[in-house]
Amino acid sequence: MAKFLGLNRLTKLFQIIQECGGLKQTYLKLYRNDDLKIGTLVGIDKYGNKYFENPFYFYGRNRWVEFTPHVNMDYDGSQIPADWYGWMHYKTDLPPIRDGSRPKYKWLADHSENLSGTKEAYMPYTTTPPKVEAWDPSAKKQ
Amino acid sequence: MIRAPLVKALSALGSPTHQIASRAVRTSAIVAQTPAKAPEKIEVFVDDIPVQVLPGTTVLQAAALVGVEIPRFCYHERLAVAGNCRMCLVEVEKSPKPVAACAMPVMKGWRIKTNSDLTRKAREGVMEFLLMNHPLDCPICDQGGECDLQDQAMAFGSDRSRFTDIHYTGKRAVEDKDIGPLVKTIMTRCIHCTRCVRFASEIAGVDDLGTTGRGNDMQIGTYVEKLFLTELSGNVIDLCPVGALTNKPYSFVARPWEIRKVSSIDVLDAVGSNIVVSTRTNEVLRILPRENEDVNEEWLADKSRFACDGLKRQRLIAPMVRMPNGELQAVEWEGALIAVAKALKKANGQVAGVAGQLADVEAMVALKDLINRLEGETVVTEQGFIKGSGTDVRANYLLNSTIAGLEEADAVLLVGTNPRYEAPLVNTRLRKAYVHNELQIASIGPKVDLSYEHDNLGSDPALIKDVCSGSHAFSKVLEGAKKPAIIIGADLLEREDGAAIHATIVEYCQKLKKPEWNPFNVLQNNAAQVGAYDVGYQAGADRAIKAQPKVLFLLNADAGKVTREQLPKDCFVVYIGSHGDNGASIADAVLPGAAYTEKQAIYVNTEGRPQQTLPGVSPPGMAREDWKILRAISEVVGTPLPYDTLDELRSRLEDISPHLTRLGELEPAGFNETGAQAAISKSISGVAIDVKQKELKDYFMTDAISRASPTMAKCISAVNKQQRQDEQSKQSVAI
Repeated sequence: MAKFLGLNRLTKLFQIIQECGGLKQTYLKLYRNDDLKIGTLVGIDKYGNKYFENPFYFYGRNRWVEFTPHVNMDYDGSQIPADWYGWMHYKTDLPPIRDGSRPKYKWLADHSENLSGTKEAYMPYTTTPPKVEAWDPSAKKQ
Repeated sequence: MIRAPLVKALSALGSPTHQIASRAVRTSAIVAQTPAKAPEKIEVFVDDIPVQVLPGTTVLQAAALVGVEIPRFCYHERLAVAGNCRMCLVEVEKSPKPVAACAMPVMKGWRIKTNSDLTRKAREGVMEFLLMNHPLDCPICDQGGECDLQDQAMAFGSDRSRFTDIHYTGKRAVEDKDIGPLVKTIMTRCIHCTRCVRFASEIAGVDDLGTTGRGNDMQIGTYVEKLFLTELSGNVIDLCPVGALTNKPYSFVARPWEIRKVSSIDVLDAVGSNIVVSTRTNEVLRILPRENEDVNEEWLADKSRFACDGLKRQRLIAPMVRMPNGELQAVEWEGALIAVAKALKKANGQVAGVAGQLADVEAMVALKDLINRLEGETVVTEQGFIKGSGTDVRANYLLNSTIAGLEEADAVLLVGTNPRYEAPLVNTRLRKAYVHNELQIASIGPKVDLSYEHDNLGSDPALIKDVCSGSHAFSKVLEGAKKPAIIIGADLLEREDGAAIHATIVEYCQKLKKPEWNPFNVLQNNAAQVGAYDVGYQAGADRAIKAQPKVLFLLNADAGKVTREQLPKDCFVVYIGSHGDNGASIADAVLPGAAYTEKQAIYVNTEGRPQQTLPGVSPPGMAREDWKILRAISEVVGTPLPYDTLDELRSRLEDISPHLTRLGELEPAGFNETGAQAAISKSISGVAIDVKQKELKDYFMTDAISRASPTMAKCISAVNKQQRQDEQSKQSVAI
């Protein structure tokens, strides 16, 4: 009966709202993630991204990340560091915090996100000389 | 035509008797060539089409009359007939063997078959022999796509090869020669047409090229290791039917089918040679001559051909304004125009303009209109001319005999000019007349090599008076001549006594003149000069300096005649032009203009023929056409010029001087106008007559474009190197 009236969904909604901590927070979460889900917090990486899992959802949507609040709307899949990448993409079911066998070398570089579109984006310099060489007034005349 | 080398061999012996002998040889040759009476035409048949030709016409010329082109390699209309490539073999009915069409004069009633089986077989055979020793390197050859051998092998060659010898004796290979920084040689490709040899000895007058060896061992070369350095060397590239002589700066740059071609006009000398500008992706790659019988025939001087890489260096690409710290700094157009307008408003009419040697007529008119609107009066050319009102009469500053007309002259006196370097293509005309028309040439000025024999009378200016009073020996020659001409160098008339020299010669020319022939000539050396006088500019930058203007416009004025020291301290100098050179370095505001390959503009050549350049590429960066810059300045100052488009500006030109827009047509200046100015003292000072360009190394860099050209710099160092080597070898011989 409750299922017939869709009350279980309402219950879920209330659960989510409760989990998020109020109507305002729920709205903000929906605005930021375009989605409202609840699940178990699997872990937090060193940048503050939170990783969730809920097998209630279909495979492929059952693991997700909530990016660290300070990036705001400028989140990007490339902000997920390499050690969480495997778990997010179902390469492994062991999240890095529970996987003790992962090597940790000193020389491992810190993760960096994709910088395309930013000032630090990689820009190859041209190797062709300009077709027209401009006059430089400060150059001494021979 | 073949006699030319013989004549030279005789006259080289030098003794007076030999000179007479040589003259006799030349005379007899000419008599032999010109038919005595009205020649009777004879009828021949080319592919069964009847054609009436003069006796002495060759088979090839007769075929050309009915529009049949016979393939050829060695034959060239402007060179002597050599007849050694055999490509022009054609069948003549009842003749046992095919005949070489280029050298065989036709006989009455001959039936020439240019497309018979025998003719085709003969061509195939010749082509097979030529290709046997020609490398198959068309894919890496610069001539590929514009190669006569390639085209004719396709059209007339056999469809298969019988050449199998590649593993045994292989193909003939010849060592490449270094003949200078302009012409690259790949001698293995040479098919021995000897066009380059004939060009060098007949047209350029430099016997540097020749052949050594016979048969398969024949080679084209310079005999001893030396550079082929003349002011016309680039023409052998065009003449070479294969890729043996190619353009060195252009090597491996582009293919002919990638290139856009724009017909234009050369402005690096005052001849106004017709050129084709080859461009690709907004870059000028090379410059080739365009045929114009009245101006440059089909030749082009080296500076005009090779200085085009100067268009890519030392360019002004953004407006610049001099900052309080004395540095020129790039600014936006708006800032530059406002800076100029502010200075103009403060100047209160004390404005002057100086037009340099590359200024086009449109820009000069716009500058003059602008200055006049600002109540300024002084618009002058950078190069000087005679004092007084000499430029009021057009005949006073033109090459009145015309460039083509000089070919018919039979006595020429050169006064203070070296046409070989000031106008190389005028010099080829004189040389042509010398070879074919018995032209007698004398010069007053320093001893220079003009590439033909001439009588150097000395450099004493008193000689001018001697000749013009009729007391000198050469006066008799001039007075006895059918078409005498006196050519004065434009630089000579810059002298203090220029007016006196001018007046003396004008007066003498009144005596020499014939109906339809004006013997008075001034050989200009700046492309802008005649146009500037035509639109009412006065001559001499010193006039602008004397005016002590508050604002001075330098329109392409780069000769360095105006310096900062001569101008008032608060004078604001505006430079409009394409290159950073003398003008831009003294300017307070630099406005980047377009070079001659980047604008549609009119230039008037030394004989008074207006011709227009067409844009092949767009001006670099923020540069704009010169007249548009002046139009923009006038708008900002608040006195807008009444033309917004080129057409409107051209109609303004027409108002000033209608001949300026009759492009390509020569407007002769009536000779009777050449008024010697009244009340001019005719005292000629004793300062020896000099010319600026004496040797080849003086020729290469004369303007902003050629000074910026790396190729021209290489030419100068090559000439210097050759000179050093010559001196060394002379010393070692002396030891």
